[in-house]
Amino acid sequence: MASALPADPALPPVDARPVDGFDPVAAYRTMVLIRTYEERILQARTEREVIGPVHPYIGQEAVAVGVCAALEPRDHLVSHYRGHGHALARGVDPDALTAELFGRADGLCGGKAAALVSDPATHLLLSSGIVGAGIPVAAGAAMTSQVKGDGAVAVVFFGEGALGAGVVHETLTLAVVQRLPLILVCENNGYQGATRTEEVYPETSVARIAEAHRMPVHRVDGNDTLAVHAAATAAVAAARAGQGPSFIEASTYLTRFHLQFDRPSGEHRPAEERADWLARDPLGRLRQHLLAAGTAPAVLDALDTDAEQRVDAAITFARTSPWPAPEAALTNLWAATP
Amino acid sequence: MNELAVLDLILEQELDRNPDVVFLATSTPPSWRARFGAGRVRTCPISEPAMVGAALGAAMTGLRPVVDLNRASFAFLVMDQLVNHAARIHYLSDGAYRAPMVLTSATRGPQQLGPQNEQCPYGVFMQTPGVRVAVPGSATDACALLRTALRDEQGPVLLFIAPGLADHCDLRAALAAEPQPFGVARRIRGGDAATVLAIGSAVRAAEQAAADLAAEGVLVDLLDPRTLVPFDTAAVAESVLRTGRLVLVDDGPRSGAPAQILSGLLDVPGLAEALGGRIAHVSAPEVPIPSSPVLEAQFWATPERVVAAVRRLTTPS
Repeated sequence: MASALPADPALPPVDARPVDGFDPVAAYRTMVLIRTYEERILQARTEREVIGPVHPYIGQEAVAVGVCAALEPRDHLVSHYRGHGHALARGVDPDALTAELFGRADGLCGGKAAALVSDPATHLLLSSGIVGAGIPVAAGAAMTSQVKGDGAVAVVFFGEGALGAGVVHETLTLAVVQRLPLILVCENNGYQGATRTEEVYPETSVARIAEAHRMPVHRVDGNDTLAVHAAATAAVAAARAGQGPSFIEASTYLTRFHLQFDRPSGEHRPAEERADWLARDPLGRLRQHLLAAGTAPAVLDALDTDAEQRVDAAITFARTSPWPAPEAALTNLWAATP
Repeated sequence: MNELAVLDLILEQELDRNPDVVFLATSTPPSWRARFGAGRVRTCPISEPAMVGAALGAAMTGLRPVVDLNRASFAFLVMDQLVNHAARIHYLSDGAYRAPMVLTSATRGPQQLGPQNEQCPYGVFMQTPGVRVAVPGSATDACALLRTALRDEQGPVLLFIAPGLADHCDLRAALAAEPQPFGVARRIRGGDAATVLAIGSAVRAAEQAAADLAAEGVLVDLLDPRTLVPFDTAAVAESVLRTGRLVLVDDGPRSGAPAQILSGLLDVPGLAEALGGRIAHVSAPEVPIPSSPVLEAQFWATPERVVAAVRRLTTPS
């Protein structure tokens, strides 16, 4: 059953106890922002306001938010083409992000990147459009921390499809041997584009692949924000303590589809599988947790409203931002020598 | 380590000079690891794409990585990390991030490495916006350009070194070489009979050819561009507009650097008219490099081939 985590008794159970300092209400706020943002971005893509492909993150919000809540501002982050959730969880400005997706002058990267954003303000190095390719780049940021002794760690997000790429295995080898302060977060959603991973991999537990590289592994329910956060906190602590890299396998699901161009994707998933995952939606689960813990429903409803207003403002900002000057196409090929 | 041993001395000086310089290679000198630590001198598994990707991440976050790719053929292993990522990040981030990193590798030498391991692929990287391409024609320039590559911050540098430069190395001059700006050609000889533009390991053959021609009273303008990206179009165009004849000399294929250089020059106003078709190439054939020395002999830019090319252009028909 696709909704269940694959059984693997050789691996220890996840320690999902809440971690001190974690604010689940703040996590809920960010997850609602990501969800609301993505729904509107898909709509804006249909209306051809967003340029290029949109790869939605809907259904996986707990991973980005749980991991980013375990980071400090000094830490480095590498994302990929499905990176809106990572960017917002990391604190990237929604106005600049949206203007970038609209190809406008006020975009985070001046309209040159669309979804493949970088943002030095939040140490978001790269959102690679090539599967697996950002993983060695994050390893390099971890090398810098190691050489400079600044205590920062580097985190990279990727799907399980990245484990098909040779450079990922090269990086796992290098990172373990060199004890790099690197946290690899695999968002295992069971699909590589429209292809089911079980059809193309001999081993669908990517945690075992990481273990074969002698990398410590945390396996978590990726729809459980608290569980993700607990694993990320442990991995970050180990990396800061000089114990080297960790691998987090977060089992999750994309409840929509792989990507959208002008029209919503016609991609279909088995109805039972999708329904099963929708019943375990990360926002609903965190909301239930908060309500059970005594949070007033009105508090959470207000966060939903806040998210709508914030996204409205970002869309308006993007719509009113000018197009880039044509000559900007030729700028910033080379850095100036300071 | 590098076949041009003097480059190792320069790199060691630069490691000493700047604590942000780090070296990644599949083989590193034990003395460097002892002196600079395993954090700065990293012996890596055979994983060139991961090494170059890591160099990018390190460069973006404040280090000055140098990756020794060993053979220039191995540059093809790292195309995704180099071309799609390192060469793009400054542009992609609209100037927010920079990637000051250096990749070194050896091009062709008379080493019989054969079709897979013996290539001059720098022409490929001339059509890769975002990487700078240095192909020095002397050991002294190789040292100077390595220093520059390690000190400026404009973006990734590919440094292609011909093993043959070691045979004619003026060690004292090389060690004393100051950083040399990219994009400045070196005039080796002056003359009006023809412009001879020679690249990398072919510079030596062109020098001999120019000397042989001078003995007959034919004085050519001999230029070594030293860097292909950026390329000193102004210096070469000045020469070609004066001589009206151009011979491009390279140990790589004609469709590589020579074709791209010519294409760029023809954009210079008046240059095509000045040349009037008087263009010649001395290059490797458009096939892989064979291993047998007898077969490979046809693939070198020899002084005889350069002399013949100049004569063809300077003899009235």
